Amino acid sequence: MNPAVGLFAFLAVSLATAVIGFYGLRISRTTGDFYVASRTVPPWWNASAIGGEYLSAASFLGVAGLILLSGTDALWFPVGYTAGYLMLLLFVAAPLRRSGAYTIPDFTEARLDSKLVRRVTSLMVVAVGWLYIVPQLHGAALAIRITTGLPSWVGSTAVVVVVCLTVAAGGMRSITFVQAFQYWLKLTALAVPVVFVLLVLASNGTQPQAPLPVNPTGQGAAGAYQHISLLVALLFGTLGLPHVLVRFYTNPDGQSARRTTLIVLGLLSVFYLFPTLSGALGRMFAPELAQSGQADALVLLLPGKLVGGLAGDLLSALVVAGAFAAFLSTTCGLVVSLSGVISQDLFGGSVRGFRLAAVLAAVVPLGFALMTDTLALAGSVGLVFAFTASTICPLLLLGIWWRGLTDAGAIAGMLTGAFLCGGAMVAGTLMGPGNAPVWLAQPAAWSVPAAFAATVTVSMMTKNRVPASVNRVMSRLHVPERPVATER
Amino acid sequence: MTRVRVTGPRQSATAAPGRSPYPREVTEDSDSGRIFIRSLIRSQLRLALVVACGFLIILAVFAVFLVYGPGVAETRIFGIPLDWLVLGVGIYPVIGLSAWLYNRAAARNEARYRDLVEDK
Repeated sequence: MNPAVGLFAFLAVSLATAVIGFYGLRISRTTGDFYVASRTVPPWWNASAIGGEYLSAASFLGVAGLILLSGTDALWFPVGYTAGYLMLLLFVAAPLRRSGAYTIPDFTEARLDSKLVRRVTSLMVVAVGWLYIVPQLHGAALAIRITTGLPSWVGSTAVVVVVCLTVAAGGMRSITFVQAFQYWLKLTALAVPVVFVLLVLASNGTQPQAPLPVNPTGQGAAGAYQHISLLVALLFGTLGLPHVLVRFYTNPDGQSARRTTLIVLGLLSVFYLFPTLSGALGRMFAPELAQSGQADALVLLLPGKLVGGLAGDLLSALVVAGAFAAFLSTTCGLVVSLSGVISQDLFGGSVRGFRLAAVLAAVVPLGFALMTDTLALAGSVGLVFAFTASTICPLLLLGIWWRGLTDAGAIAGMLTGAFLCGGAMVAGTLMGPGNAPVWLAQPAAWSVPAAFAATVTVSMMTKNRVPASVNRVMSRLHVPERPVATER
Repeated sequence: MTRVRVTGPRQSATAAPGRSPYPREVTEDSDSGRIFIRSLIRSQLRLALVVACGFLIILAVFAVFLVYGPGVAETRIFGIPLDWLVLGVGIYPVIGLSAWLYNRAAARNEARYRDLVEDK
C-alpha cells in the first residue's frame, strides 16, 4: 500500500477529532448545556453515539481478522457483542437511567451507602478501562505499521497524544455528536470498500483461491467450552463497560433508554454484516494473509489487494480513516469516563485534577501497550469483557434486582472476580498464547459464577449491613417516570 | 449568566433533570405503595429472565443444530454455507425481535403499575 495514503487518512481523522473537540468547547456554554443538552438529542443520534463509542478496534479490525483465521467459530464474537446489548436492555438500561447516577461508582455509592464500596468500584472501573484501552492502542500500532511502514510505537503514541490533547483541553463536550458521526464514518469506511470489492470480483469473474469453510492455517475448531465461556464473557461483560453506561444518561427517561438500546441493536446488527463479509472474502481470496500473521490487518489490506490502482488507494484511505476513527472514539470515550472517576476520587474534582487524570488515564495503558505484543485484537478484547463480567456485572445486576446486596458482599464479589479472572489472564499471558489450557485462556465460564456466588454468600452473612435506604433506592430504580404528556 | 466549570461527573445526582415528581405512594412509603413497587420489580425481573432464557435457548438450539444437524455441513443457499448464513445473518433478527418484544412488555408492566397507583 502507498504509505502516503495511510498517513494522510490518519492525519485527517486526528485533526478532525481534535478540531471538533476544541470547538465543541464553544458550543456549550453553561453547566446546564453540558449536562442537559443531551436531553434534546433524539434516540437516533443517541443510539448512533453509543454505537460509535462501542465499535472499537476489536470490531473494526479484529472480528474480520478472526473470521479469516477461524471461520464460523469467530462468527460468535459479533453475535456476543450484539447480544450483550440485549442483556443490557433487559437488566440494566432503564433502572440505571432512573438511578440518576452518572458513573458506576456513583451508582454503587448511592445504592449501598458506603464510601469504601465506591473506592473499590472505582478501582475496578479504572482497571477495566485501562485493559480496554490497550487493545485499541495495539490496533493503532498495527494499522500504522501496515499502512505506512513506520514503527509500531508511532501509532499507539499518536493516538494517546491526540486523545490527551482533546480531552485535557476540555474538549469533547459535543461528544454525543462526535461519537454519532464516528458510527456512520465507521460503517461507511467498512461497507463501501467491501461492496466495491464484491462488485470488482463479480465483474472480473475472479475465482476464489480457497474454499470458504477451510481454515487457512489449518486451525482446529473450538470446543463447546470455548463457545460457552466466550458468550458468558460477552453477554455479561457489555453491561459493565464504563464508557457505554455513561452514554445511557443522555436519555430523558427509562422508557427512552430502552428505545435507544433497541436502535443500538439494529445499528450493531447492520455494522457486523461487513466485518463478516470482509472475513469471508479474505478466506476465499486472500488466505495468505492468515499465514503471514497479518490477519488483523485484513480489512486494511483487502481493497488494495483485490481492487488495486487509484481506486484501491482511495478505498484503503477510507478504511484507514475508519480504523483510526474506531481507535480514537473508543479511547476518547474511555479516557473521558476514566478521568471523571480518577479525578473525583483522587484529585478532588478540580479542573487541573481532571486534566491530570486524563493524562494518567491514557499514558498508563500506553506503557502496557508498548511493553506487550499485539495479540489477536478480538481475543484480547474478549478477555477484557471476561474481566468486566467477573467484577462489575455481579455488582450491577444484584444491585438493581436484589434487595439483599450489602457493601461487604459487593466488595467480596468484585475482589473474587478480579482475583480469579485477573489471575487467569496473567497466568495465560505468562504461559504464552497457545500453551495455556482452554479453561485458563477463557476464564469467564467459571470466574463469573464464582463472583456471583461470593457476592451472594457474603451478602447473606452480613444481612445487618443492608442499607436502610434500600426501599427508597429500589423504588427509584424501577418506578416509571410519569409521562409528561399525561400529567394531570 | 455565570460561567461554571464542569470538571467531572456530578456526584450528588439526586434527581434526574426534567424528571416529574414521583407518585405519592412511592415517596410516602405507605404499605400499599411498597407492595405495588415490589410486585412491579418482580414482574419486570420475571419478564427480563423469561426473555433472556428464551433467547439463550434459541441460541443453544441454533448451535446444536449447526453442529449435529443432518446435512448442515453440505447445505448451501446461493452458494453460501448454511452455518455462515445462520451465524452471520440469521441470529441478528432474533436478537432484535427479543428486544422489541421485551420493550413492549416492560412498558405494559409500567403502565399497569401506573394505573394501580393512580386509581387509588
